[in-house]
Amino acid sequence: MLGRQMSSKDKKPLNVALYGMDERSHKTMVMYLQGPCKGVGIVVDELDAEIDIIDADCINARELMEDRQAKTPDRPLILLSLEEVNISGTIYVKKPVQTVEMVDALNRAKGMLNEDIPQEAEVIPEQDAIPEPEPKIEKIQPVVESKQAETKQVETKQAGTKKIDSEERKKTSKHRTAMDLTEKGFHAYIGHVEGVDFSDREQVLKASYRPKDFFLGYVYSAIKVAREKNRILRLNSSWKPLMIFPHGNEIWLDADDKQLRAFAGLEIKNESGKGMSLTPVDKNVSESINEKMENFHDADAFVWRLAIWTSKGRYPEVLDINKPVYLKHWPNFTRLVVTPHAIQIAALLINGPRTLINIADALKIKPQYVFVFISAAHTLGLVGQARRKADQMIAPAEVKKSRSQGLLSKILGRLRSQEKLNNNESV
Amino acid sequence: MSQYKIIFTGPVGAGKTTAIQSISDIPPVKTDAAASDMTKTRKSATTVAMDYGVMNLDDGEKIHLYGTPGQERFDFMWDILTVGGIGLILLLDNTRADPFQDMKFFLDSFGDFISDTSVAIGVTQMDLSSKPTIADYHMQLEGFGLKPAVFSVDARVENDVSLLVQALLFSLNPGLEDE
Repeated sequence: MLGRQMSSKDKKPLNVALYGMDERSHKTMVMYLQGPCKGVGIVVDELDAEIDIIDADCINARELMEDRQAKTPDRPLILLSLEEVNISGTIYVKKPVQTVEMVDALNRAKGMLNEDIPQEAEVIPEQDAIPEPEPKIEKIQPVVESKQAETKQVETKQAGTKKIDSEERKKTSKHRTAMDLTEKGFHAYIGHVEGVDFSDREQVLKASYRPKDFFLGYVYSAIKVAREKNRILRLNSSWKPLMIFPHGNEIWLDADDKQLRAFAGLEIKNESGKGMSLTPVDKNVSESINEKMENFHDADAFVWRLAIWTSKGRYPEVLDINKPVYLKHWPNFTRLVVTPHAIQIAALLINGPRTLINIADALKIKPQYVFVFISAAHTLGLVGQARRKADQMIAPAEVKKSRSQGLLSKILGRLRSQEKLNNNESV
Repeated sequence: MSQYKIIFTGPVGAGKTTAIQSISDIPPVKTDAAASDMTKTRKSATTVAMDYGVMNLDDGEKIHLYGTPGQERFDFMWDILTVGGIGLILLLDNTRADPFQDMKFFLDSFGDFISDTSVAIGVTQMDLSSKPTIADYHMQLEGFGLKPAVFSVDARVENDVSLLVQALLFSLNPGLEDE
């Protein structure tokens, strides 16, 4: 038992996933953990597990171990084997398994978990290092009979009864389709930035912001930790708690858009930022939020929106406005807020790097539309600063009029007028 | 008057007929028949010739929306259908056994047309099967040297289909302005 005194919290059973066992061995282990091990561990699905147990004598043990270490590198791993196995970072239990040794191994695993994430870890935003590539996210496989979705909703959300266990997760998920913002609606949507006159070119060039000084930076960092640890985490702040569900790539926050927009725009000073902390969320807590289904958000759509409200037409300071940026690939616009000219900007930028001002000039649009799109896409890791010398050596091509431009514009106008009509009908 | 067309293609059950219906100004002309071959495992009726819809423009011009039959044995029609086409909407069903294979097949089959025009890809049924992800599709597309728009799409939702077509139009010319 490593001499640890177990608190009541420590007595909560560990969620355990089993690998490399046939059906009979699996059942035996389930009963063994419940019975002789007095419920120190409980067998759950892979997604909900806190620790993994592998029968190291099974034929594909090596593959299983490599797979687990790749998918959940921070999850403690217990190996059961007839022969002694000495692999760094794993806990060995000799077969046939003795209860004392098994309980000891589970407690050691629990100790590793507690060391891994302090009960109240301070969150340091690291927005300057917002990723170049998007992180690989384990996605769930929601199964739902989808009905005709309401158009013109704000963003991806989940609906219906939601349980945290993986089986129930599969039954949920119904997106709401994208919101397409016009220039007119944009300013009402993003709000106003104090101290920047966007009609003054000089001020526009300096209209940057530091994501890490805002809620965005903390949320971004917390999501990154949750994904790396593969654990449900709660971001505590002076405002409302926010929970991150990395398996389903979801965020839970009990706040409406108006409240979130207001908080997103507040600069968090160093002192107030110290109140931010990350804590692990146990299954009981996460189940208690099931009743507020409307508070679940797709993480990408949530962060995209948060970036828009933080940017308010400014660009992230980490990007050099004088150097070109590239777009890795198109954003999934049908599930995001489509800011004015966003599709146009993506279509231009996907063809090659350009500076932010060049994009605005080439498309004859206001720079803040470029900045807000770039901010959101950068937060999702879709935009990066072009580093190749060649990208800065040759001026990007002008946007030329084509023979079919008139026709294409008419089609565009037809699609957008229908959108407006639908918007009005839905109001 | 010229025949301007947008072509919708993709495998059986990907939502071509529904997508055309979502943005057409007329009830789409469907040429469905009861499925008799392996198609019947996925849907009871399937398109055996083509689907047809129309978008009416302000000046009386029409954009014809053609959906290709999803079954490969009708691929002789595809070359004929694409003549005069503005661009290609490729719809892929994420619940099929190998959506990447489907994507490769259609990108290869319409390769000449795509290189002359452009393509935008809509992935349907992502509510039922969230993998492959949209990011996975982009990774696969790197192998084709293409960077098209790839959106998750509910073919019944007009806004989804509209955004996909808008992405196609801007891919053809990012300098477009509404008229």
